[in-house]
Amino acid sequence: MPILSLHNISKKYGPVQALSEVSFDVPPGSVFGILGPNGSGKTTLLSIVTDVLSADEGTFTLFDQHPSAKQRRNIGTLLETPNFYHYLSAYRNLQVVAGIKQRSEKDIPRVLELAGLTARQHSAFKTFSLGMKQRLAIASALLGDPDVLILDEPSNGLDPVGISEVRTLVKQLAQAGKTIIMASHLLDEVEKVCTHVAILRKGKLLLSGPVNAVITRDDFLEVGSADNKALKAVIEKHPAFVQLSATPEGLLQVIFKEPVDPAGLNNWCSQQGIWLSHLQVRRKSLETAFLELTNN
Amino acid sequence: MLQIIKIEWLKVKTYRTFWILLGLAVIIIPASNLLVQDITGRIPKQVQTLLGNSAYDFPLVWQSVANVNSYTSAIFALLLLTLVTNEFTFKTHRQNVIDGWERKDFVFSKLFWVLALSVIAFVVSVLTALFFGFFYGTSAFNMDGFYYLGYYFLQVVLSLCLALLTGILVKRAGLAIVLYLGYVMIFEQLLVVTLKRFWGSVGGLLPLQTADELLPFPLIGKMLPGVQQYDNMVYLIALLGYIAVALWLIFRRLLKADI
Repeated sequence: MPILSLHNISKKYGPVQALSEVSFDVPPGSVFGILGPNGSGKTTLLSIVTDVLSADEGTFTLFDQHPSAKQRRNIGTLLETPNFYHYLSAYRNLQVVAGIKQRSEKDIPRVLELAGLTARQHSAFKTFSLGMKQRLAIASALLGDPDVLILDEPSNGLDPVGISEVRTLVKQLAQAGKTIIMASHLLDEVEKVCTHVAILRKGKLLLSGPVNAVITRDDFLEVGSADNKALKAVIEKHPAFVQLSATPEGLLQVIFKEPVDPAGLNNWCSQQGIWLSHLQVRRKSLETAFLELTNN
Repeated sequence: MLQIIKIEWLKVKTYRTFWILLGLAVIIIPASNLLVQDITGRIPKQVQTLLGNSAYDFPLVWQSVANVNSYTSAIFALLLLTLVTNEFTFKTHRQNVIDGWERKDFVFSKLFWVLALSVIAFVVSVLTALFFGFFYGTSAFNMDGFYYLGYYFLQVVLSLCLALLTGILVKRAGLAIVLYLGYVMIFEQLLVVTLKRFWGSVGGLLPLQTADELLPFPLIGKMLPGVQQYDNMVYLIALLGYIAVALWLIFRRLLKADI
């Protein structure tokens, strides 16, 4: 049973087609990244799922049922910006959320502690920094320990430590079996935590599925020696050689048509009289793969 | 519904602006009546005899208090506008839905305030009328004319429904307050005067004017050579009709539109 199943969702803002017949399923237990450049429709899609916007066409199900407030109460959601009553304290804001979600207020201290806001729980929301506001939004999403989380750019406004903490938190939640639907344009973030992705561009779904199936990222070897000219000539003679390019750091990136054992390559080069000073198996970054996909 | 009221209570419990505005709206009810009582109390005895009862004698006190209060119900509307536009400013109307309210729950949460503030205005008015009737009046307790406070209650409900509609459509606090007060205090009055001048009684059928027509000040109201009026039932039906239309527009807007 998919947690979320979208069927041909379309949405227009005036003449702008924000989403065009988007369909995909989010399997239970997955960390599902919705990727796309700014303006690709990520937030619009999540806004439709959370009933903030209505789709012009198409349908979706939550927990295999017709979507309703009851299902939303079982999902922790952080959409776009942290939305709280400015004059209320962090604690009182979470009391409002607990009331709407029909969850016990006893969970509030736990989520405040998780978000690192215990010391400031009685301060008014309006006195919070951007990062603290974002932390409170994350705390609010975690309230009641929901099995499904929707996180739209969860690292927004956080400092490097905060970003790392959120990433760790997402990993921990995923390990605990939660389903996490995460929209982000920070590919590094997605690469480190997501099991599945859907890629949007200008409102159209380009691809969706498990990360490694959707984005093929062939391994390549990065090599270097005292004489890169000679190394290049030797590598080009390798039976599995396909392509070679030089990096600004003075190394050579080599793609082979089949996986090549680094020890074997090292041995082969030495037999040709070349001693490697650098040898590393690398993988195309998600960012490169993503840019290739979205630019096509 | 109890859950919704509990959440609304959490939103205002420590909100100072709410309590200040509510205090002002409540205090102004006896305060404005005190002023009017002071003025009517200065009418020379001979004229009073001609008029019959004083405005704050039972049973006229019900009508007098209802009439005087109808001029200050805009303060309750300002309070409601503040509560509603806050939700749009903070985008908490969205968050409430995201967190698990049906959109209609959000509408009910604001309609709760329409009803709660109307009931507060009504109860304070009843207490004020009783106080003035017993303290300043010279006649024995009499419930005749109590229905004027019922008209006042409906006037507050209509004022608040129009304020809620304005808040939902305009969303920004400052602009919503200016537009609302501009309509209530100037624009509708201009329309009423113009319509009455050229088309007669139909001018009395504009939204808030329906309540004004139902709530003339006792004694003086009778003496003014006004335009011929419709039967009270016509104004009452029109007033209830406006409340129904406002509610329909409020639900339609919040249930259908993107928020």
